[in-house]
Amino acid sequence: MFLNQTLRSHKPGRIVGTIVSAAIIVIAWSWEAIITWVGVQASQRAPIQLDTVHLLSLAFLAYTGVLVFSSLVFSLNALLLNPDLDLLLAAPLPVESVLAGRMVVQVLRLLLLSLVFTLPALLVLAFANHNLLIPLLFATLYLLYPVSVVVIISLLSLLLVRFIPVGRGREVVTLFGVILALGINLLNFLFNPALRDSGFARRPGVPASLPDVPVASATWLPSGWAGRSAAAILRGDIAVAVEWALLLLAVSAAIFAAGTILSGRLYLAGWIQAVPPRRRRLPGLRAPRLTGALPLLSPLLASIVIKDWRMRTRDLAQLIRFVMPVIFIFIIFGLRFAGLRSAVQSLGEGPAPAMVGLVPAWILLFSLSISLGLTAVSLEGKSIWVYAVSPNTTLRFLQGKCWSAALPTALLVALVAIAAEILIRPGWLWAATAVLLAVAQAVAVTTLMVGIGAVFARFDWTDARRMLNPIGAFIGMGLFAMITGGSALLLAISLALASETRFPVFSTWLAAMTVSIGGAVVVAVLAVLIGNERLRGLELG
Amino acid sequence: MLSTRLLTKRYGSLIAVEDLDLEVGAGELFGFLGPNGAGKTTTIKMLVGLLRPTSGTARVAGIDIMAEPERAKARIGYVPDAATLYEKLSAREFLEFSGDLYHVEQRLRDRRIEALLKLFDLHDRGNDFLAGYSRGMRQKVSLAAALLHDPQVLFLDEPTVGLDPQSARQMKDILQDFCKEGKTVFFSTHILEIAERMCTRLAIINHGRLVAMGSLQELRHMVGQDGQSLEQIFLELTGSREEDVSAVLRGLEE
Repeated sequence: MFLNQTLRSHKPGRIVGTIVSAAIIVIAWSWEAIITWVGVQASQRAPIQLDTVHLLSLAFLAYTGVLVFSSLVFSLNALLLNPDLDLLLAAPLPVESVLAGRMVVQVLRLLLLSLVFTLPALLVLAFANHNLLIPLLFATLYLLYPVSVVVIISLLSLLLVRFIPVGRGREVVTLFGVILALGINLLNFLFNPALRDSGFARRPGVPASLPDVPVASATWLPSGWAGRSAAAILRGDIAVAVEWALLLLAVSAAIFAAGTILSGRLYLAGWIQAVPPRRRRLPGLRAPRLTGALPLLSPLLASIVIKDWRMRTRDLAQLIRFVMPVIFIFIIFGLRFAGLRSAVQSLGEGPAPAMVGLVPAWILLFSLSISLGLTAVSLEGKSIWVYAVSPNTTLRFLQGKCWSAALPTALLVALVAIAAEILIRPGWLWAATAVLLAVAQAVAVTTLMVGIGAVFARFDWTDARRMLNPIGAFIGMGLFAMITGGSALLLAISLALASETRFPVFSTWLAAMTVSIGGAVVVAVLAVLIGNERLRGLELG
Repeated sequence: MLSTRLLTKRYGSLIAVEDLDLEVGAGELFGFLGPNGAGKTTTIKMLVGLLRPTSGTARVAGIDIMAEPERAKARIGYVPDAATLYEKLSAREFLEFSGDLYHVEQRLRDRRIEALLKLFDLHDRGNDFLAGYSRGMRQKVSLAAALLHDPQVLFLDEPTVGLDPQSARQMKDILQDFCKEGKTVFFSTHILEIAERMCTRLAIINHGRLVAMGSLQELRHMVGQDGQSLEQIFLELTGSREEDVSAVLRGLEE
């Protein structure tokens, strides 16, 4: 159906995109097959003692995390955001059968996803071990293992939606996304061997590069059953594999049956969306209110900036796009502060340490320019008609969008750059010019992203995640890499030039900065002009 | 105040509007009628500058909307069918934004906003986010935004959909007062009773082509039967399907 729609669309971009995506998948599958083949060959030539049961149990335990999150998002999406569930529940069918059908669909989706990721490796293993049952038996495990998780999470979701007011589902789903991202980072800190000291207790037979959770292969945990069954499949011990798989089947079937009955009862008991929507209004006089005026900006531009600011900060899904990069900068640099501090303070004074100080600012700029710049135009969504019927040009609109994205980006980038330069202390002159460079690049790169966002604008989104066009994001990332890479190269050349020609370093450094900023500004202006032409060509009704 | 000449909009082989000639004078409350898919919304979107005509011209307040869109749009107010508004803004903030888009001076803007919120009984809910508004309330906010910059021509696409009887009546009064000031209202509707009572002149469009235009009396003359209701005239000019409907319903019963 997807291929048929793509071909019938007669859109060259869409067809090329599909071909490229298919090629990437084929390359990834081939790569996986080759790596597996090399691994099998290496293990046959130089056998190493690995605790296969424990390793596979660990893999299934890690998969449980994916199952919990995907089931939660799937259930909440189905319960809160998709109107088709309402249609199904209004049909003359038992509620239990509708909810059970949903859970079966989710399990089948997970089975397909597991196969998409592992089938090439399984086929190679089947070929190498002369056991064609390997893919089939693994597929059976993929089918059975998620059942209990999906059922339990579906039941919990039915309880959870009781506490979610009507109309806030999208925001809650986004919040879960953030919790997952933070959770992954926390788990990384807790379990990643690279972040642990050498005295960390490990099981024998687990490679030092892998995280270890000793309980993963316990006989009372489903991950232990699945791990034992999978290890037996690879050994060719089918009887043991079936034994553990049957235990998994029995428990999964029991949980599915009990869950189906309970889910119907929970739904009928009126749990679904029991919380009335809270009337959301502006705070009274407690909070200072933006009045529609900003220094240096015309009322129209100021109005666009303030409106966008309100939309970004009041919608949790939008706010997270804005705040997440800052949180991750803190996670990446803040949690390793002590180690980083001693490393950077040994750099001494001069332009090179000042450039090192720009690294966190560039990482932040990368995130913010994409999350704010690329989505600035699409942020209007279906309300774009409000602007389109007004007596203003699209170029004026784009100017407003550039301000609305560049102001917060430049401010945050400046703060991070200043903090880094204070920490490194490369000399006040070098620090000041580096901060200036960071701010100028923030403005230029964000403007560039606004232009690209206008070329790939999407006004039909209902979910904030769909505001970002993947091709636009890809082009934006490429241009960002070129601009920052080009800047770093220019500044390095300026240092080399100074030592070769005996020009004062500061003058070659300033010349390099001027060229770097000038180039970025030219690219940004071009992008905005192209974006303007694209918007002018659209019918926004 | 408003005129179109051979206005046409094509989407590939589909002709949405074809050779539309309209003349609407100052102070008129002009009803634009037609069955679903007749081309009403497409016409209105071309007149407010949201869609580009394939051919033909449209002038609003004497200004060609294609040649000088910004000048023409400054004189236009537009209320779309089922307006999508910024959900995370309050009604007051949305109106402030609209006022700024039309370059209304800040103090005048704020005064008008308060007056319009009172007029539409939204004063108490002016600080509530639009996400919590009903369809009828959103319709009122859209109309308030369209009136904020004191336009010369007001375009409304199905303005009474979603309004309760009191609000529909209120909107009718507001539009009539608007026309009394010598300004023009151009609106599409399915509710023929409202069009019959309100409009000074009417146009009926079917399959993208204008089939009749004039006062109610002139339309009655056109179909050759005085005393007919607008509904009867409309069905006659656009082709009644009552017999088809009865046949289908009988088929369902069997």
